[in-house]
Amino acid sequence: MRPLTEEETQTLFKKLAEYTGPSLKNLIAPIDNSPKADRIVFRLCQGRVYAVLLSIANIATSIARDKLLSLGTCIGKFTKTGKFRIHITALPIIAPYARHKIWIRPNGVMPFLYGGNVVKAHIGRFSEDCPEHQGIVVYSMDDVPLGFGVTARSTAESRRLDPTGVVCFRQADNGEYLRDEDNLFASG
Amino acid sequence: MAPSRTKTMKNKHAAPKTPSAGGDTKRSATSGVSKSKKGKQGPVVSQQVKEKNRAALLKKPKKKVYTAEELNIPKLNMITPVGVVKPRGKKKGKIFVDDKEGMNTILSLVQAEKEGQIESKMIKARQLEEIREARRVEAEKKEDEKKAKLENMKDSLRKKRKRKSAGNEDESLNEVSSTGTKATKPKKKSVSFA
Repeated sequence: MRPLTEEETQTLFKKLAEYTGPSLKNLIAPIDNSPKADRIVFRLCQGRVYAVLLSIANIATSIARDKLLSLGTCIGKFTKTGKFRIHITALPIIAPYARHKIWIRPNGVMPFLYGGNVVKAHIGRFSEDCPEHQGIVVYSMDDVPLGFGVTARSTAESRRLDPTGVVCFRQADNGEYLRDEDNLFASG
Repeated sequence: MAPSRTKTMKNKHAAPKTPSAGGDTKRSATSGVSKSKKGKQGPVVSQQVKEKNRAALLKKPKKKVYTAEELNIPKLNMITPVGVVKPRGKKKGKIFVDDKEGMNTILSLVQAEKEGQIESKMIKARQLEEIREARRVEAEKKEDEKKAKLENMKDSLRKKRKRKSAGNEDESLNEVSSTGTKATKPKKKSVSFA
């Protein structure tokens, strides 16, 4: 387990900033105003990046590297080319700070959770002024985050789209907790 | 005589020491001179060389050393692969960013960059949308014009037909009326016996 280097931190923040707005600063801000307040830090453990409280990260140093399987919330992992691949487990981190959102109707929830893209017919609400190919967080109509993806069309364009036209390409959904159970938490 | 001859013969290599004979003098003279020169001017030459060396030694560090970047060597043609270049004299290992300030600066930098990107994307999208809208309006206008033209043409054709068939229509109307009357009052068949 080790902290991230400058380059890695930059790559990670770039990825997170795809989905989140300027409020992402609150993620790394201290939890309270006390002088030695706890804050969330990022740690690299067996190729995966975890967002974890500093106090817990300090305690975790007492566990041997190869014995430590996981700590905090897994955000994703670095590929061998140095890019960052965000996992569905990062949803609780990015959902509160989401910049653009899309709400899908109850008839579209299941198709999305089974790995489908979001089509126009399933959209309940859509953030205004959203450009295309922009990271977006997908919610159900009762504001439960279901996953995230990238927009296929801008908001204006998607209005003219036919009901079967894809509006958002899925990147991760909550169904992965079942579908990818073996890979999602496997170390190495 | 003989011993003297033999002496001379024996002293063939030693001749330089005693330059006596005419034929020997040339050879001995040259070699002797060269040797004597070496012996006499040896220290002078070495001094000169030393001075030169000193000068060379002094000059060497002054020579400009070109870096790889200054030579404009293509990046792919370098010995070290692109991206693996590590500056000399730098400490080995990774430099971690774990302090609050460092993370905040990186985050603000990244966010400013992202904001700019998104803003430019949106401006571009808006411009494209405007262009599309203008094109759509133009196309609609053209379509309307076409339709109006077609309607006009249709109307004119209808009028023409009406004018042409106006007289015929009257006749036919008369016919129809007559037939109608006929229909209402059909001729009774009558049989007459003469």
